[in-house]
Amino acid sequence: MTLPSAAEAVVQPLEVTRKPWSDLWRAVAGNRKAVAGVLLLLFFLLLAIFPGQIAPYSPTAEEFGRGLPPSSAHWFGTTAYGQDVLSQLIWSTRQSLVIAFAVGGLATAISVLVGVSAAYFGGYTDGILSLITDVILVIPIFPLIIVIAAYERNSGMFTLVIVLGALGWSYGARQLRSQTLSLRHREFLEAARVRGERGIYVIFYEILPTMTSLIVASFLGAALYAVLFAAGLQFIGLGDPNSQSWGTMLYWAENNEALGAGMVYWAIMPGVCVALLGAAFALLNYAFDEISNPALRLRRLEHKGAQELPSPAAPVEVAADPENILQVRGLTVAYASDAGPVVAVDNVDLDLRRGEFLGIVGESGCGKSTLLYAIARLLGAPLAGEITSGQVLFKGRDMVSLTEKQLRHIRWREYSVVMQSAMNALNPVLTVEAQMRDALEAHSNMTKREMRERSKEVLRLVSIDPVHLLSYPHQLSGGMRQRAMIAMALLFTPDLIIMDEPTSALDVVAQRSLMMQIKELQERLGFAAIFVTHDMSLVSHFSDRLLVMYAAQVAEYGKTRQLFDHPLHPYTQGLLEAFPSIRGEKVRLTGIPGQPPDLLRPPTGCRFAARCPHAHERCTAAPPLYEVDGELVRCVLYEHEREAVAAT
Amino acid sequence: MRFVVRRLGFFLVTLWAAVTLNFLIPRLMPGNAAIAMMSRYKGHVNPQAMHAIEIAFGINVHESLGHAYITYLGNIIHGDFGISLTFFPDTVAHQVFQALPWTLALIGTTTILAFALGTLIGLVSAWRRGSALDGALPPLFVITSAFPYFWLALLAIWLFSIKLGWFPESGGYDVTTTVGWSWPFISDAVYHSILPALTILVTAIGGWILTMRNNTITVLAEDYVRMARAKGLSPWRIMWTYAGRNAILPNLVGFAMSLGFVVSGAILVEFVFNYPGVGWMFLQSVENQDYALMQGLFLMITVTVLLAILVADGATAILDPRTRDRS
Repeated sequence: MTLPSAAEAVVQPLEVTRKPWSDLWRAVAGNRKAVAGVLLLLFFLLLAIFPGQIAPYSPTAEEFGRGLPPSSAHWFGTTAYGQDVLSQLIWSTRQSLVIAFAVGGLATAISVLVGVSAAYFGGYTDGILSLITDVILVIPIFPLIIVIAAYERNSGMFTLVIVLGALGWSYGARQLRSQTLSLRHREFLEAARVRGERGIYVIFYEILPTMTSLIVASFLGAALYAVLFAAGLQFIGLGDPNSQSWGTMLYWAENNEALGAGMVYWAIMPGVCVALLGAAFALLNYAFDEISNPALRLRRLEHKGAQELPSPAAPVEVAADPENILQVRGLTVAYASDAGPVVAVDNVDLDLRRGEFLGIVGESGCGKSTLLYAIARLLGAPLAGEITSGQVLFKGRDMVSLTEKQLRHIRWREYSVVMQSAMNALNPVLTVEAQMRDALEAHSNMTKREMRERSKEVLRLVSIDPVHLLSYPHQLSGGMRQRAMIAMALLFTPDLIIMDEPTSALDVVAQRSLMMQIKELQERLGFAAIFVTHDMSLVSHFSDRLLVMYAAQVAEYGKTRQLFDHPLHPYTQGLLEAFPSIRGEKVRLTGIPGQPPDLLRPPTGCRFAARCPHAHERCTAAPPLYEVDGELVRCVLYEHEREAVAAT
Repeated sequence: MRFVVRRLGFFLVTLWAAVTLNFLIPRLMPGNAAIAMMSRYKGHVNPQAMHAIEIAFGINVHESLGHAYITYLGNIIHGDFGISLTFFPDTVAHQVFQALPWTLALIGTTTILAFALGTLIGLVSAWRRGSALDGALPPLFVITSAFPYFWLALLAIWLFSIKLGWFPESGGYDVTTTVGWSWPFISDAVYHSILPALTILVTAIGGWILTMRNNTITVLAEDYVRMARAKGLSPWRIMWTYAGRNAILPNLVGFAMSLGFVVSGAILVEFVFNYPGVGWMFLQSVENQDYALMQGLFLMITVTVLLAILVADGATAILDPRTRDRS
C-alpha cells in the first residue's frame, strides 16, 4: 500500500489500544446511528424491567370488551379475547430481550471460542473448525430450527435459546477467525509468544481486547437474528402459545384474522415492536461497522479546525518558463484526522526542466509521496488529503485549478504515474492488455490492432515478452509486474513520469537493474522524471537534482553531485552517513538518532533541531530557505551566507 | 481445477451433514414424536401408510442405528424420501417437485433481483459518498432489513389487498384458470407474485446494499483505483471495471453466506401469502405432522441453497482470475 505515510502516522485507529472500552464508548457517543440504536434499546430495556409499573393492565386479564377500537383507555384497542393490546405489548418485551441477549451471548461466546482458536492454533484444528463453521453457515438454519421445533412442540424459551445459540454463531466465528489470522503475526503477539505466555493468556489478554468492536458486532448480529427467528417461530405456532411474546401475539392475531376484523393494532403493533428492536440492533451493527473500520467514516477537512491551518502564502504570479516543464510554488497539502488537520506538505517550491531527473528523498512520513500525489492531482481516498494552497504549473497550466474533467485529457498522455507496488496498482481482475487498452481507448482513436501493437511495443521496451499481455498481474513475478507498470506509463511517451518508489518492492539486484533500465529509457525517450525514494544511494547515480524533505518541508534542494559531495543541511549529512558509499572508503555508519516530529503538532522552530548535532538557541525560530552556491538549504548555519530566498 | 474440486468437496460434506441431521433429529428427540403421531393417525390412515412411516422412522423395526443410517442414505441417493401422509399415497419426492417451480420462480427471481439491485445501490452510494442518495437509501434499507418478513407480508396484504384491492390476497394463481404454459395463466401467476416478491425485495435488499457499499469504500482506497484515475479513465469506467468489479467479489461470497437467511424469511412469506411453494408446503407439513414430507422439503431447501452457492462460486471464479489459479 502506498498510503501517504505522513498521514498514516497519525491516523491509525485500528492500533491496539489499552483502554478498548472507553474508546468504544467515545466512538459510540459520536455516531448518530449508534446513539439512535442505544436509545431504542434503552427504551425496550425499561419496558422489559418494569412492565408491572408501566403497563396499564394485566396482559392476560380478559375483562374488557372484545376487539375494541383504540381509545384513551386502550391505546391500541383490545384483542378478540378482550385483553388490552398495549399491556400485552409491554409485558412481551421481556421475552424478546431475554432471547436476544441470551442467544447473542451464547452465539458470541461460541464464535469467539471457535473463531479465535481456529486461527490461533491453525493446522488441523483450523481445518476442522473452519469446515464446521462453513457447513453451519450454509445450511438454512431457520428451516432446520422449524424441523427441530416440529418434533419438540411448544418448547419453552430455554430450548429456543439453546437451539438458536447453537446454530447462530458461524458468521461471527468466520469474521473473528480472519481478524485473528491477520493479527497472528503482529509484533505484539510475537512478543507475547517469545515471552513464553500461554495460549489462553495470549487469547484473553492480547487478542480479544483488540477485537472488541468485532465481538460487539457479532453479538448484535446474533441478537438481531434471534429476535427475528424467535418471532417467526412463535408466529407460525411453534412456540409456547401461552407465553407472553410479540410473536405469540401475532400468532393469535393471525388466527383471529385481526386485520380483516378491524383489530388492526393487535396485528400491527407486535410487528412494529419486533421491527423496532431489530432496527435497534441493526443500527448499532451498522454503526459498529463504521467504528471498527475507520475507512468507512467520511472525514472532511473543513469540519475540524480549518483555522489551525497555516495561512496560505500570498499567491505568487509565476511566469511560465518554457524551459521548465513543471513549476511548483508554495504547495501545501493537509489531511483531516480525528485530532485535527495534519499539514503533510508545507509550502514546497520546485522546478523541473524538460528531460530532467529529480530525486525526492526523505524518511517515511516526511510527506514525499503526498507531494508527489498532490502534483499529479491524485489525492483523495483513502485519506482526505487536500491541496490547501499553492500552484502546480505543468507546461504552463495550473494543475491545481483544473477540474477533474479537464485533468482527464492530460493525464497519461502528458504525464503518467508509476507506483510503489504494481501488485496493488494493477487491477487484479484484468489482464495486462486490458489495462493498457483502457488507457489507450481513453485517449486515442486507435484500432484494436494498433492498440495491441502499441502494447507489445512498450512491453518490449522494458524487456517483457509480449505473450504476457494476456497475463493477469498475479501471474507475473514481482520484477515483471513493476516493469509492466513502467511499460504502461510509456504508452503515450509522456513528457513527465512521476514515480513513487517504483523499486522498493524488489530485492537489491532487481532494484539496480530496474533503475538502469529506467535511466536508459529516460535518456532514450527524453521524458522528465520525479523519483521518490527513501534510499538516497539509489538515486545518487541517476538523478540530476535532489530534493531532501524533512517533516513536510524542503530541507535541501540542489544538484545531485554537489549535494552528495558537500551536503549542507545537518539532516542531509546524517542521511549520507546512514548509507555506505559503494566505492568510497569504509566509514562507520552513524545514522540519525531520534524520531521525526509529530506533524499534528510540529515544533515552532527548526523541525530538525531535536535531532540535530549543531542545534543551538537560534533554532527555536523557524529557519527560512537560504541560497548557498545555487543550492537551497533550510538551516540557520547558513544565515551569514546569503539572504533568505523567500519569506518562508 | 483444484478450486472446483475443493468447492465440490465442501458441497458434498455440507449435503452429507444436512442428510445426517435429517436422519438424527427425529431419532434423538426426547419423547418419540413419530410414535405420538402414529397413535394419533391410527385408524385414520390405511395400514400401508402406517407401515411406510414405521420404516421411515425406525419404529418397531429391529435394526441398529448404524444399519438404519445406511439404509436411509441408500434411499436418499435413490431419491426415495418416503411417502407423504397428507397426500397419501403420493411420494414426498413428487410433492416436493410440484412445489419447487413456484418457489424457484418467486424466491429465486426476487433473491437475484435483490442482490443485483442492492449491489448496484451499494456501489453507487459508495461512489457518491456523502451524497443525498448515500445518506438516504443505505440507512433506510438497513432498517427495513430488520423487519420480520412475515409481518411485512401481513402489512402488505392488509394495505394493498384488503384496503386498496390492488393485488390478490393469497395464492399463486387464480384457481379458475388452468395451470399450463398459457398467457392468461402466466400473467395471472406474475400478478399474484408481485406482492410477495416486493415483500422479500424490501427486506432482503438492505444487507446487499450495506456490504457492497462497505466493500466499495474499501476498494476505492486501493492503489489500482488511484492508478485508474491517473490513467485518466472515465469515472464510469473506473466505477465499473475497477471499483465495482473488485468490490463485488466478497459480496458474491456474502451472497452465498446469507442465502440461507433470505430463504428462511421467504418461507414465511409463502406461508403468509398461501403461496403454493416449498415454504408453504413445508409449514403445512409441520402443521399436519407429516414428518416425511417435512424432512424431504428441508433437504430440498438445503440442496437448492447449496446449488445457488455453487453458482455464486462459479461466478466468483469467472470474475476473479486469482481463484482460478489458486492452488
